[in-house]
Order: sequence, then C-alpha cells, then structure tokens
Amino acid sequence: MIDLAMHMMDIVQNSLRAGAEKVEIDLIENSRGHTLLFRVKDNGSGMDGETVKRLADPFFTTRTTRKVGLGVPFLKMTCEQTGGRFTAFSEEGKGSVVEAVYRTDHPDCLPLGDTAGYLALLLRANPEIRFRFTCRIDDAEFILDSGELKEQGIDLQHPQMLGAVREYIRENIKEIYRKQPSHGFLCM
Amino acid sequence: MDGIKTLADLKKKQEEVMSRMSLRDRAENPESLVQVKVAMATCGIASGAKEVMEYFIEELYKRKIDAVVTQTGCMGYCFAEPTVEISLPGREAIVFGYVDTRKADEIIERYIKEGELVDGIIPQNYNTI
Repeated sequence: MIDLAMHMMDIVQNSLRAGAEKVEIDLIENSRGHTLLFRVKDNGSGMDGETVKRLADPFFTTRTTRKVGLGVPFLKMTCEQTGGRFTAFSEEGKGSVVEAVYRTDHPDCLPLGDTAGYLALLLRANPEIRFRFTCRIDDAEFILDSGELKEQGIDLQHPQMLGAVREYIRENIKEIYRKQPSHGFLCM
Repeated sequence: MDGIKTLADLKKKQEEVMSRMSLRDRAENPESLVQVKVAMATCGIASGAKEVMEYFIEELYKRKIDAVVTQTGCMGYCFAEPTVEISLPGREAIVFGYVDTRKADEIIERYIKEGELVDGIIPQNYNTI
C-alpha cells in the first residue's frame, strides 16, 4: 500500500464483507499535534474478542480462498512505522471500528493518494450502503454522505457521474488544504 | 461546465446526464446484462485494480454496452492481479488475470463484444495460493 487511499479501499472491503449497511470513513488531521487519524467504523456483524486479537496477524483470514490476510497487518505496519498506533474495537452484532494514527512529522508518513477516486468507486459499486466520509484538518472539514446525495437526486450509479463525483470530492478536499496552507500535511 | 465543487454543481451535472440517459432503456433484468467484477482486495488494490475498474465503467458506457461493473473480494489468484470476472448473459463466468487498461480494452472489444476468448484466462481448476 503506497498511500492512505489504498488502505481506505482495503479496510472498507472488510466492512462490506461483514455485511455493514453504514460505513463511516474519517481522515482527521491535527496539525499542531502532528497526527493524522484514519478511521473506518461500520455496523456490520462485528467480531468476537479472539478475532480482534488475531486481526493484525498476517496468517489470519476468514477467507477460504487463501491462507493470508494482509489488509490490516499492512495498515498497522504503515502507521506504526511513523511512530503512530493501530487500534481495533468490535462488538459482535454491532459493528467494528478500526483506527490508525499516523505521525505526520515522520518521513515515512504515507501520502493521501487518490482518495476521491477510490471513494467515488466505493459509492458507485455499493449502492445499498450508506457511506459517510469526513475529511478534517483542524477546523476545516468536508463531509460527504451518500444518503444525502441520493436524497438530492444524485444517481451515484450512473457511469457518467463517476467522474463528476470524483471531481466534487477532490475539489472539496483541495479546498480544505487551501484554508490551511501552512499546516496541511496531506497533499493530493 | 468548469469545475464541480458545490452540491449545486453536482446536481446540474446530474440533470445533464439524465436528459441524455432517458433515450436509453435500462434493462430490468440483470441476467441480461454483462457483469464485470473487479477483484478489489489488498492484492488487487496494490496491483492497480482501481484504474482497471474506472476504465471498465467509463469505456463500457462510451461503447454503449449495458453492463454492471462492481467490485468483489480476492478470488485467490493474488499472483495474477488485477483479476476481473466477466459473465456474459447465458454463459459461464470467466476470470481474466493480469488485466491492465490495454488488456481491458481487448477484453471489451473481443470477448464482451464478439464472444471470442482472449489470452489471460485463469482456468477454474487452478490451485489457489
């Protein structure tokens, strides 16, 4: 995984496989504290304590098609190598929260990547799921709620809307960085 | 239109798209559509599945092929990512490996349009890792 957007796509797949109907994705940067929090929260099937413990084990997977599961171990590795930390909470039947904190003053901190592109694909490929994406740097924030877009009559499944939604997200994320020019670590 | 930044811009674009779309009937039965599933797990993402998926969505539309493009998990063919499973109506699903945008173009032109088999098919009896 060479950027955060890839991790986002990857971790969200776990929520989708857990049968989630709502998925919240947060990217929250605190420029004074030099931290960046990446969080995915879902209301899927959740995991028992034993499973949560084994989550970061690369040889643990619920799949039968292969014997390794690297999504979470990679996320843990990339945040810990910046001096950050990885945490996962879950409750069976209620859902899960996966959090990775990155230190943005560390040279190994990952770039943001094409968050807008991945997010647009997620919205397009999963019409039955309500996504809520929050990108915040200090006080500036952008929130996208797929349910609200649908209520406004936006057809996220139309092929021609893919590019438009991508541009909408990209422009709004850029805007946040414009508001915080001296602090914003994340770059497009 | 220059720049899509506000919700109003997005709605305007939607209206444009809708007016062009009304000519085209949406098939009610997904069985009659071409189904494209792009494997989008850790291995697929790391190998560039995003570009392949975007390409399928945009090109199938441009080439006026009614298709459902969606994402799926890892099918166990991590060595051959990005992989794409294609189901043509009434035919068995076929998995293609090592798909980049050039391969995707060949798959659309030759397999989806003409039904010809093209290189890169992963046989069903392959062992997974």
